Amino acid sequence: MSRLDTGGAIDRGRPLRFRFDGRDYGGFEGDTLASALVANDVKIVGRSFKYHRPRGLLTTGSEEPNGLVTLRSGARAEPNTRATTVQLFNGLEALSQNRWPSLGFDLMAVNGLLAPIFVAGFYYKTFMWPTAFWEKLYEPLIRRAAGLGRLSMRPDPDSYDKAHGFCDLLIVGGGPAGLVAALAAGRAGARVMLVEEDWLLGGRLLGERHEIGGVSGAEWARATAAELATLSNVTVLTRTTLFGAYDGQTYSAVERVTDHLAEPAPGEPRQRLWKIVAKRTILATGAIERPLVFGGNDRPGVMTASAIGTYINRFAAAPGERVAIFTTTDSGWTTVDDLRAAGVTVAAVIDARDEPPAAATERARKAGTRVFAGAMVTDAFGKTLKSIDIHEAGRRRTQINVDVLGMAGGWNPAIGLGCNLGNRPVWSDLIHSFILETPPPGMALAGAAAGHFSLGEAVRDGARAARDAIPAASPDVPYTSDDPVGLAPLWHIPGKTKAFVDFQHDVTDQDIALAAREGFKSVEHLKRYTTLGMATDQGKTSQVNGHALLAKSVGKAIAEAGPVLSRPPYLPVAIGALAGHHREEHFRPVRLTAGHVWAVEQGATFVDTGQWKRAQWFAKEGEADWLETVSREALGVRTSVGICDVSTLGKIDVLGPDAGALLDRLYINTFSTLGVGKARYGVMLREDGFVMDDGTTTRLGEHRYFVTTTTANAARVMQHIDYCRQVLWPELNVQAVSVTEQWAQYAVAGPKSRALLQRLLSEIDLSNEAFPFMGAAEFLWDGVPTRLFRLSFSGELAYEIAVPATYGDALVRALFEAGRDLDVLPYGTEALGVLRIEKGHAAGNELSGQTTAADLGFERMMSKKKDFIGRVMAERPGLVDPTRPALIGIRPVDGKSRLGGGAHLLPLGAAATAKNDQGYVTSVAHSPSLGHWIGLALLKNGRDRIGERMRAVDLLRDNDVEVEIVDPVFIDPEGARLRG
Amino acid sequence: MAKVAILEPRGAFDHILAPVAPAESGHSLRVSERRVGLATLMALAGRRGALAAALGIALPTGSRRVAAGDLALIGIGPDVWLTVQEQAGTGWASDLAEKVVDAASVSDQSSGYAVLRLEGAAARELLSRGAFIDFHPSGFGPGSAAVTVIAHMGVILWQIDDAPTYEVALFRSYAASFWHWIEATSAGMGIVPHRADG
Repeated sequence: MSRLDTGGAIDRGRPLRFRFDGRDYGGFEGDTLASALVANDVKIVGRSFKYHRPRGLLTTGSEEPNGLVTLRSGARAEPNTRATTVQLFNGLEALSQNRWPSLGFDLMAVNGLLAPIFVAGFYYKTFMWPTAFWEKLYEPLIRRAAGLGRLSMRPDPDSYDKAHGFCDLLIVGGGPAGLVAALAAGRAGARVMLVEEDWLLGGRLLGERHEIGGVSGAEWARATAAELATLSNVTVLTRTTLFGAYDGQTYSAVERVTDHLAEPAPGEPRQRLWKIVAKRTILATGAIERPLVFGGNDRPGVMTASAIGTYINRFAAAPGERVAIFTTTDSGWTTVDDLRAAGVTVAAVIDARDEPPAAATERARKAGTRVFAGAMVTDAFGKTLKSIDIHEAGRRRTQINVDVLGMAGGWNPAIGLGCNLGNRPVWSDLIHSFILETPPPGMALAGAAAGHFSLGEAVRDGARAARDAIPAASPDVPYTSDDPVGLAPLWHIPGKTKAFVDFQHDVTDQDIALAAREGFKSVEHLKRYTTLGMATDQGKTSQVNGHALLAKSVGKAIAEAGPVLSRPPYLPVAIGALAGHHREEHFRPVRLTAGHVWAVEQGATFVDTGQWKRAQWFAKEGEADWLETVSREALGVRTSVGICDVSTLGKIDVLGPDAGALLDRLYINTFSTLGVGKARYGVMLREDGFVMDDGTTTRLGEHRYFVTTTTANAARVMQHIDYCRQVLWPELNVQAVSVTEQWAQYAVAGPKSRALLQRLLSEIDLSNEAFPFMGAAEFLWDGVPTRLFRLSFSGELAYEIAVPATYGDALVRALFEAGRDLDVLPYGTEALGVLRIEKGHAAGNELSGQTTAADLGFERMMSKKKDFIGRVMAERPGLVDPTRPALIGIRPVDGKSRLGGGAHLLPLGAAATAKNDQGYVTSVAHSPSLGHWIGLALLKNGRDRIGERMRAVDLLRDNDVEVEIVDPVFIDPEGARLRG
Repeated sequence: MAKVAILEPRGAFDHILAPVAPAESGHSLRVSERRVGLATLMALAGRRGALAAALGIALPTGSRRVAAGDLALIGIGPDVWLTVQEQAGTGWASDLAEKVVDAASVSDQSSGYAVLRLEGAAARELLSRGAFIDFHPSGFGPGSAAVTVIAHMGVILWQIDDAPTYEVALFRSYAASFWHWIEATSAGMGIVPHRADG
């Protein structure tokens, strides 16, 4: 047990139990999974990505590359979770990853022996031949051997929420700089949002023994948090990671609402996705300590010096018994003092600088610590760390036995979020790292993120940033204890064994040198060739070291080699958080017509048409399959009367003095001449001359037109009309608005439709003379505004009746009540399709965006007397070619074969090759009236080929039918029925 | 001959709200469907002044709500308003069209939108979870309105008073999906919506 008896921000009165790799351990409230593992002497927490080397914890933060575990089990299992950011809860379960059969003994570690194969770019070099082997052999093998955790492959039982935030000042990071800024801005009354990934505010103050404002850092952070909580204008989001910066000063963050609990309470979300807009933003994200690059620097027990300090100070967990610190900075000496204060033996301090800080050196020597100045650690040994080699200039190698080695390689400002929008960091010789001098609009950096590493400077910088952002703020600048930050960088320690740069992706110093030798000399190429920085940690601990090594290899300064930018997300985000409540049947909104409840009661089967649910058919007991149902419905319409909900068709009011003029320009035919109380079928083209949409338009008044569109194109046609009247022809005095949802509309079709409607509408004369085909009327029926149209898609005597949707449910029930003894039946979209194919009406399958008006038989509708959208382009040679595919009908020659949509039309005897292709089948149906299958097709020169026989070949469905080319109108070509 | 049915109106949320527990005044989220007349009012070119005169109301500019007596106008586009009429009869939209003839075009939308009233201490927070709009009282108060999107559904919303009371107009076909969003989001807030009288 390495738990210290005293100290730390853990609650020894609240013990917790947890399991790691099947073994039970104990921890305390206030622990992370990582600190609890440290306290239990668990040194190996994972195996590395490529070489399966044993790995231990490197850090205490979200930058952790090694300590990735699968948290929880079953459907809640979450792979690649950083143990350093998991707040311990009672009953926590975690498994290590990427090892087989166990962490201690991993068969795949043999990969380490094959290291010469797994060099930089090995994907591109090793598995080149034969090509077929890649998919079948190499890739599955590599995927099994490499990689991280595995998904549970089960549905996520948790829910995810969304929220929006707006503020005057967004502060990212609740460390000393962020807290000073938040307090100042909050006291000044600004709307402040403070986002902190930890569950406690304080940042580095929690892991160090500094004093601030005359009290300990942790105490000051607690007091500050308490005051912030009293300010109603300040929103503090802990356990929240800001992961992206976007245009318009918009940011995204994920709040881990219940990840610290065993499982969320019912209804409670696991995580919440925030979208935040901030007038000003302070990036106070601190800095990340750099590892040092020497042989064996990945051995379990080698970690950053600051991590050692934090494990001891915050969690009272000593990572080892005999520690050495390898430092290039004054901050490394702070860790030496921390260790000594906790009673942990510091065997040696190796400072690469010739002149280490004198006072700290003196304190160390007094306590019996060996101090090596101007020295380097060249190698580390042991499956878990046992000893290190120390090299001093001009002396023999010294070997020292230690179980933990701290690396203090300097600090990199955590500026990733500031680069999301393409702002390039620049090299600073002052701090020997990249800083962001020109952050995106509205953003400023403060504290260590701005390169102000000492606590005093960070606090002063936070105060400055607050004043800049909120002029009314007058920050308190608390006194801080001394925090020297001297540094002499050391980028590489030459040696014989593997020295790791990117721990998570197993990229070594040799890989970078090799990439440079092979010509990958830009940092962007280096990244992709070696995969440096491309793991789930996005290279937070490795990027700068990698660039420094590349610069060295190609003989450039780091400043010249340049940085790579980072993209959102700053840390991995669960897809579930992005989806929020939009999952399973709620993945997108659903639109239900007013008659939906009625249709459900009738046992309808529904089909998705865009967001709408439409009744596809209404099966009756005893019917064998959908075809029997649909045939019954279609036949019922032809023999008695059927009712179909057509409310989903797009409906647009086009109003105003120039309404007719606008419609004349939108459609190929003319509407300004249409009489009031009349409907007309119209076709509109796109600007490129192809058909865009069709539908009927009714003139209800001098300045009132009612346009209908297909269901699929409703929104598009509305946009098109708005674009035309607002942008193309603002001089037209015309108004338009969608009224799709206002009207519930039902087709009442069949020979008995007039009789049915006359029963309900006793005051309206529905005789052919008074209400002819394409007639329309609006009237009050029982006080309800009602519209009646004599339209027919089915080719039968038919009407469409519309009432405000509020009355839609009542209307459909009234229609069925009235038609009970007329054999009235409901029909769905499938029967609707059968009826329209029998009549040769073009629909979605034919309005495919590839057909012209002439292709579909509308050439005579195209007015020569006026201009309209698409007219000019429709005259292009390719669009008026007489041999273009034209709409025709087909029927099987044997009278019984089934036709298939998508089949291609070939001359009899011709081979089924693309060369012989002359057209294709767009729609098919079984016609119950004719007793055989029929189809519509687009056939080259089709209209001149009526009577010809061809093959309809569908190689995908293995169908080959001899068909006769016929007129596309199969039933009642004279139209006697619909005019009857 | 079958008996002629008298058509009974049915609100988009009728069958959704029916099983919801009734609200008491203290409940933090009280929901009701409004029975109001709705119409899209679109000024004819250059006739904005005439329209204001015909209605006797100062037309809101931008996304604001202005109410006079039983009539409220909500700006939803350039020279376009959603008109909300309390106590509207079925013929109210044609009456309105007559009143503003030669000044504006009118489309009845009384059935096109369902209008949901949300009131109570949690209403503001609930809406802010859905709409990417700053509902802070300093920027969005009584009379404020917005044409926006909640959970991928287009909505028009406005604030009535400081209670706060909001109303949200959405295409009636979305009622079930919108209710799912309200239930899921309020569950995430630890509250339960209650049904108030419309």
